Amino acid sequence: TLSFDRMFVQVCLYFYCKCLWRCLKFVVRKLTGRCELQRICYNIKPGASRTMKIAETSLRGSKNKLLQTSVGVHLDAIEKTIDDIMELKKINPDINPQLGVSLQACLLQIVGYRNLIAEVEKLRREPYDSENPQHEELLLKLWKCLKPDSPLEARISKQWCEIGFQGDDPKTDFRGMGLLGLYNLLYFAEWDSAVAQQVLSDSLQPKYREVTKEELSKISKAEWEKKKFDKAIGYSFAIVGINITDLAYNLLVSGALKTHFYNVAPEAPTLSHFQQTFCYLMHEFHKFWIEEDPLDIMEFNRVREKFHKRILKQLQNPDMALCPHFAASESLVNI
Amino acid sequence: MRRWLVPPPFPNMAAMSVNKAGPGATLDTGPRHSGSRGPAGAAVKVLECGVCEDVFSLQGDKVPRLLLCGHTVCHDCLTRLPLHGRAVRCPFDRQVTELGDSGVWGLKKNFALLELLERLQNGSAGQYGTTEEAIGQSGESIIRCDEDEAHVASVYCTVCATHLCAECSQLTHSTKTLAKHRRVPLAEKPHEKTMCCQHQVHAIEFVCLEEGCQTSPLMCCVCKEYGKHQGHKHSVLEPEANQIRASILDMAHCIRTFTEEISDYSRKLVRIVQQIEGGEQIVEDGAGMAHTEHVPGTAENARSCVRAYFSDLHETLCRQEEMALSVVDVHVREKLIWLRQQQEDMTILLSQVSTACLHCEKTLQQDDCRVVLAKQEITRLLETLQKQQQQFTELADHIQLDASIPVTFTKDNRVHIGPKMEIRVVTLGLDGAGKTTILFKLKQDEFMQPIPTIGFNVETVEYKNLKFTIWDVGGKHKLRPLWKHYYLNTQAVVFVVDSSHKDRVSEAHSELAKLLTEKELRDALLLIFANKQDVVGALSIEEITEMLSLHKLCCGRSWYIQGCDARSGMGLYEGLDWLSRQLVAAVLITINLCSEHT
Repeated sequence: TLSFDRMFVQVCLYFYCKCLWRCLKFVVRKLTGRCELQRICYNIKPGASRTMKIAETSLRGSKNKLLQTSVGVHLDAIEKTIDDIMELKKINPDINPQLGVSLQACLLQIVGYRNLIAEVEKLRREPYDSENPQHEELLLKLWKCLKPDSPLEARISKQWCEIGFQGDDPKTDFRGMGLLGLYNLLYFAEWDSAVAQQVLSDSLQPKYREVTKEELSKISKAEWEKKKFDKAIGYSFAIVGINITDLAYNLLVSGALKTHFYNVAPEAPTLSHFQQTFCYLMHEFHKFWIEEDPLDIMEFNRVREKFHKRILKQLQNPDMALCPHFAASESLVNI
Repeated sequence: MRRWLVPPPFPNMAAMSVNKAGPGATLDTGPRHSGSRGPAGAAVKVLECGVCEDVFSLQGDKVPRLLLCGHTVCHDCLTRLPLHGRAVRCPFDRQVTELGDSGVWGLKKNFALLELLERLQNGSAGQYGTTEEAIGQSGESIIRCDEDEAHVASVYCTVCATHLCAECSQLTHSTKTLAKHRRVPLAEKPHEKTMCCQHQVHAIEFVCLEEGCQTSPLMCCVCKEYGKHQGHKHSVLEPEANQIRASILDMAHCIRTFTEEISDYSRKLVRIVQQIEGGEQIVEDGAGMAHTEHVPGTAENARSCVRAYFSDLHETLCRQEEMALSVVDVHVREKLIWLRQQQEDMTILLSQVSTACLHCEKTLQQDDCRVVLAKQEITRLLETLQKQQQQFTELADHIQLDASIPVTFTKDNRVHIGPKMEIRVVTLGLDGAGKTTILFKLKQDEFMQPIPTIGFNVETVEYKNLKFTIWDVGGKHKLRPLWKHYYLNTQAVVFVVDSSHKDRVSEAHSELAKLLTEKELRDALLLIFANKQDVVGALSIEEITEMLSLHKLCCGRSWYIQGCDARSGMGLYEGLDWLSRQLVAAVLITINLCSEHT
């Protein structure tokens, strides 16, 4: 009976709190003469914190069916939804012109994020098809962007290993990430080519471990050679790219990237926003790898996990934006 | 030639007199021929085996062999005697004779008896043979002179057809006409002409060559011209005879080589028997002193080899047993120490509680003022008690008091105590074979989106009473040299092959071949997962076995190929089942009180 009592008390407490919250809202509304949406829009500066607040607390938590479903509407129906909300909340759009605009931007971001997930998922699920000339063209373009000076000798060739694919045919490496991996790599190589070239050449250059004289006296020459060899295996550009695509995809699906997109995109985030995030992650990961200075490639998963945690922590800050700094991105950034 | 058929005067001559009693006694026991020592022919029959009563023979089944007690039994009967270990018992006096490696064949033949046998046989044959022999011998050596019996002939007169000595030849052929007689030395004496049996006056001069006359081909001139061989093909006797002689010589030559071959072969047999049996060999050392040396035969070598192997095995087993026992000892000691410590703690706790109770009781009986004064102290005491009670219940929740000691044995005779046995497994294979997918399917029973593994993944998977620590190492070209860092202490290798990718099977084969040469993986189990069996057109298990030539490659190690599909998880647990069957020698044995009672 004790546990039943405890449960009963909890249930009572929940209803009590809910009731209290509604009462409070009602009182505040009466006092300020503004509804909750208005308060959020006026008090919080635009960006992730405002959109999150609107999405999570105000709309989703509302008891009104219209407000609840408003986060799930189609992009084209947003304007009408805004009008409906204004009407429902008895807000005169002529007195508060700013509110409609802000609310629309927020809704666009929220709905856009959801659509972006669907778009990315669709791309990811589309396997690379070597029969499809479009896919082939993209792949060959990737080669041209990364290795403008040396032409590809054959479609199936050992040369693919130079840009970090596992085998003779890159097709097999796109298994999990599908076309998304290819799109991301291509975007990185095409639009952020300076960084991409840098990362590629770093991954190819065997980075010799610097051995101090003291250390050298302790170890034999053979051991030293071995260490040098271990060190020489840097990471592979393409498959690391696919791994980072997986990382970005997971961040997107888990909702962790909301902060970034709501801060960066003024309206609905698009695929190019996602691809820019990918570029940023590649760049950051490369720096992180060098900072971490792992002994060999076998530590990749450890470093990746650590990097993932760091990014997640960064994204918890509502003002955070994972912005790459290159010319193409300037136009899209909204800060 | 004939003389040499008789065994040359052999060394057993001396032994014969010693052994005389042997065969004699044996023969006497035979009931059929007591005292029948008649003529030579009858005596042959006397030499019979005392067991089967068949006559002994010089060779073959009925050859007489000597037992240690001195009795002689035929070879055939000896082979039928029951064996007692490596020995037989004499059928007459039950004495034991040890047999060597060659069994009955190793027993010495009774040479004295054999010689006796031969003599007897020769004796009986000699009844009609002697005259012939005498003629042959005397004809060759001493031909008397026809003139004077006292002289020995040395020449032969071809005209008079007489044997003469030199002296008489001069004497008798001194006249002018007789002196012309052609006389030749005896060795060149022409053969006497044989007369035709039908025409007594004519000598045989021709040989008939007709098919039908081969039974009596000889003919004289009459037979040839008018007789039964009239018109037959014929040739002259002498060249014909010479021709036959030549062919006989040829044959003799052939026979000689044949004999040589046979004797060569039997010498070889003797040598090989010696090599197998070993034995004493006389060796001259540097100072020229001869001394015997024991040379071990191949039989002995083989035996010592077996002995060494098993003593090695015994040693290993003893060592393993000791190690296993020490593991149990350590476990028991640790457990007992912990339990005793707990016991001690409980005693202390009990005394603390009772002290507290005592204190409370004492306080109860005191007057009001003191009770009030003692309030703080009592609360503190109760608080500590409460804390201790909490700790105690927590402890009781965590620890199961259980006397059982679950024991598991691995195939390499190590002992494992506890419910789960830990096993280190490394998953290898080409890139894209599905290693990571298999790992995560086993771990979380969910299908992960496969992305190329860079570096490795490691997860523990519990299955039955095993706890697999699975290392999944990336299959990329560049990573393959790093595989070796994961071999250490690995009990099993899981090699994943993509069955849907026909072109890469040969690459997988070369990687697998490289893998199997690694020293660290010598004793590791090999489980091959033929992944992606769900894909249409995937290679079957048999085809993959063939293409990887697994039977050849994995000769002498325990391996297993399992078809699977990492997407649905089909076949994965069958593979783990095989691994657990290979690793665990016996099912989990729990030793507790119940089993002690039974």
